[in-house]
Amino acid sequence: MAKKRILGCSFPVLIGITVVLLLLMLFGIITGPIGQNLAEQFPALAPIANLGPDWLHVEKPEPVLSPGVITRIGGFPITNTMITAWITIIILVVVSFLAFRKPKIVPSGLQKVMEFIYGALLDFCNSVAGETNGRRFFPFVATIFLFVITNAWLGLLPFYGDALWIIGEDGHHLPLLRAANTDINVPLALAIFAWVSIETFGLRANGFLPYMKKFLNFKRLGAGLVNLFKGKIKTAFGDIIFGVIDAFVGILEGVSEIIRLVSFTFRLFGNMTAGEVLILVVAFLAPLILGSVIYGMELFFGFLQALIFGGLTLVWMNMAIEKHGDEQH
Amino acid sequence: MTAETFQLLAAGLCMGLGAIGPGIGIGILAAGALQAIGRNPDARGPIFTNMIITVALAEAVAIYALVIAIIILFVAG
Repeated sequence: MAKKRILGCSFPVLIGITVVLLLLMLFGIITGPIGQNLAEQFPALAPIANLGPDWLHVEKPEPVLSPGVITRIGGFPITNTMITAWITIIILVVVSFLAFRKPKIVPSGLQKVMEFIYGALLDFCNSVAGETNGRRFFPFVATIFLFVITNAWLGLLPFYGDALWIIGEDGHHLPLLRAANTDINVPLALAIFAWVSIETFGLRANGFLPYMKKFLNFKRLGAGLVNLFKGKIKTAFGDIIFGVIDAFVGILEGVSEIIRLVSFTFRLFGNMTAGEVLILVVAFLAPLILGSVIYGMELFFGFLQALIFGGLTLVWMNMAIEKHGDEQH
Repeated sequence: MTAETFQLLAAGLCMGLGAIGPGIGIGILAAGALQAIGRNPDARGPIFTNMIITVALAEAVAIYALVIAIIILFVAG
């Protein structure tokens, strides 16, 4: 019987690796800023806290929320996130072009990977919206998903931060490349694109007036007032009360449609910016090991946010095109 | 109490209080999802997918609070 192996290593090797990693993490914490602060209060720790070599000391990170303007071309500002977004676009276009240049019936290589991604997204769209509608929504959902996930994952590369800096427009050091989702303009642009697509699908499927009737629902109220003038007081009374409630609910739905712009933007922006700040702060406070755990979490969150953005767009498109009579109220 | 003290206090309170609601909400969502999986273990895939989507919706509210806290700390005052 073979020796029992966990993660490919035998048990003593695993214990050894864990102990080494824990020691590295403790070394990082003690010689980092937490250790320096503690050494001021408990001078006994001072010799250990100063063990770290000089080139391992970093200065406190200051997260900036607005993107840095690098240059202006004819009055139009070029920010570092604009460069990053264009890098993402170029990568997506080049990869798709290379994958489907000579398509084969039995795919191999890059074509196989891209077909897997597109197939998974198409299955997702079909599972939520049915066969015909899923195919119609697929370009919008897949574009949003691929753009957001490529932005998020490219932002985790080592040179997408202050390591590569440039003197910006107002003389300060700026990162040359910065993850595009951390600039609030990119989620805003995606949110506007998704919102306009949802409304266009809804208006085209239902017609302008029936779609607006969902939000300006004065039918019952009008019937109640007509009954009041005709003299049927009892039915008029009930109709007026429920008519007011219906109108109020309609206006509330209209407001929640518009709030979708805000919620899309801030969900994506908040998650990505908070992730970037978290990685910076953890790498500053407890360097060398703990950052890897946060890094893995960021990978997952990038994928999850892309899925949420695309999935919510899909669900709301599906809800927008249903005919007025099919609602399951 | 200087203005800087209030700034720090505001950021801490904003994030702390803003995380109570979504925390409880996500717990309730996960409880419902786990019960559903317990009743019907074959439907694990769709239940898990829907749970992740609704958890992200609830989490967005906490993210709004985090964005305001970051703005208070680093941009305002």
